[in-house]
Amino acid sequence: MEKSIRVKNVSKKYKLYKNKKEQLLDVVTRKSYGQDFYALANIDFEAEKGDVVGFIGINGSGKSTLSNIIAGIVPETTGTVEVNGDAALIAVSAGLKGDLTGRENIELKCLMLGFSKKEIKNMEDDIIEFSELGEFIDQPVKSYSSGMKSRLGFAISVTVDPDILIIDEALSVGDKTFAEKSLAKMKQFKEKGKTMIFVSHSIAQVKQFCEKILWLEYGTVKDFGTVEEVMPKYEKFIRQWRKMSKAERETYKQEADKRKKKILEMTS
Amino acid sequence: MKSALMIIKEQISNFYLVRRLSLYELKSKNQNNYLGILWEFLNPAIQILIYWFVFGTLRSRDPVDVGGVHIQFFSWLLAAFFMWNFFYQSTIQGSKSIYTKLRMLSKMNFPMSVIPSYVIFAQFYIHIVMLLISIVILQFSGYYINMYYVQLIYYIFAAYCLVFAVSLITSTLSTIVRDFHMLLNSSLRMMLYVSGVLWPITILANEFPKIMQFLKLNPLIYLIDGYRSALFGVEWHFIVHWQYTIYFWGLVIVLFIIGSALHVKFRRHFIDFL
Repeated sequence: MEKSIRVKNVSKKYKLYKNKKEQLLDVVTRKSYGQDFYALANIDFEAEKGDVVGFIGINGSGKSTLSNIIAGIVPETTGTVEVNGDAALIAVSAGLKGDLTGRENIELKCLMLGFSKKEIKNMEDDIIEFSELGEFIDQPVKSYSSGMKSRLGFAISVTVDPDILIIDEALSVGDKTFAEKSLAKMKQFKEKGKTMIFVSHSIAQVKQFCEKILWLEYGTVKDFGTVEEVMPKYEKFIRQWRKMSKAERETYKQEADKRKKKILEMTS
Repeated sequence: MKSALMIIKEQISNFYLVRRLSLYELKSKNQNNYLGILWEFLNPAIQILIYWFVFGTLRSRDPVDVGGVHIQFFSWLLAAFFMWNFFYQSTIQGSKSIYTKLRMLSKMNFPMSVIPSYVIFAQFYIHIVMLLISIVILQFSGYYINMYYVQLIYYIFAAYCLVFAVSLITSTLSTIVRDFHMLLNSSLRMMLYVSGVLWPITILANEFPKIMQFLKLNPLIYLIDGYRSALFGVEWHFIVHWQYTIYFWGLVIVLFIIGSALHVKFRRHFIDFL
């Protein structure tokens, strides 16, 4: 099987600064200031062509960071990411310009993706139709509701027909009918054998749609496998997590952080 | 050196993109005003009237001597002011271009050097229109079209190169340290007074020749003198002052090499600085 995404030993480090002075010193001087925070620690993950992978995990587990790295929006700190083909990320209102109208945004976005004027003209109608924006398409995007923005974002991304589609919570804002329509569109993509990554908190949507699951926990891979393997474990974990008190959650997090540190030490 | 060549290649192969994006830039900037793009011209027009009033009327400036020809103060001011406006606007816009537009682009493999470039190009359209308006006004003031106008093409190109080279540096630095943009903003305001836009720096020639020489290191003065020589039909400025021409291009090339090295070094990590 052809590999579509290959993520190898990827870590992402962010720096946490106490104040602006630390940040400035860190940029200007050779010495390192501020506290390191690893949003991702040594992630290994592969997706074959045609896979539909769900990223799950509680808040702060690094799902969005990883999808941003795969989409090529955020650079990784260490490790390598190989992506075969174009990856498009759909997040709520990603990259829309508020001052321009919906139609102008479509043109602008497609232009930056490298389409010619004629191709854009051809795609425009499809995008407008799919987004169901109607006459609002000629209104500035800043007047849109969050649902309208994500509809437009979604419509653009699916119409430009990327090889790899990464959907980051984008369907949680639209109403039910649009979510269903989007799911139907994604099913079409699935049938075409495109790779998809689906970041969601909705266990039901993930179950319905994904084949494989990458379970992230505080920046590390907790589990990776088919839905049948991983989902029961995750559901069990979530039930436990809900019952935990604040203090218990804190100790759990500290233990996870310790594990993360060990992983990082082993690799460096 | 390698990064400089890379940037040049990127510019050439994405020229279509630069042109298209610059139109959207103009559109989105003026969407909220009723007068729209007209403000791009009204603003400098109001400014020049103020300077004319303060320096020309209140301080009653005498006609200025450009290469042996006496030029009325207003025409003299006009010939440099739109040049200054282009430099000022595109340096400011270019400097903040990357950190304001990066979210919108959100792709690392996008040719980043296009960002300052298309912002400058948007200003470039305005510059051309303002140049044409100034030429029309000059016709009524008695400074007619002459063959020296040909060198305007050269000076417009030179101005574009200077602004682009400067913007590569400033846009990178402003993205990393936002305060740099503030610093640039205030120092540019000062630049207006020492670039020979409002008063001829030649008045220093007799008493403070050293200071005049020092001020002439400012590449803007080269451009401004060139524009004036062309518009008033004085001389083939870039040939007559060939040493100054060599200095100007030497400076532009050095700035460009520094700028592209900085830009290429940080381009992948711009998003981390937002």
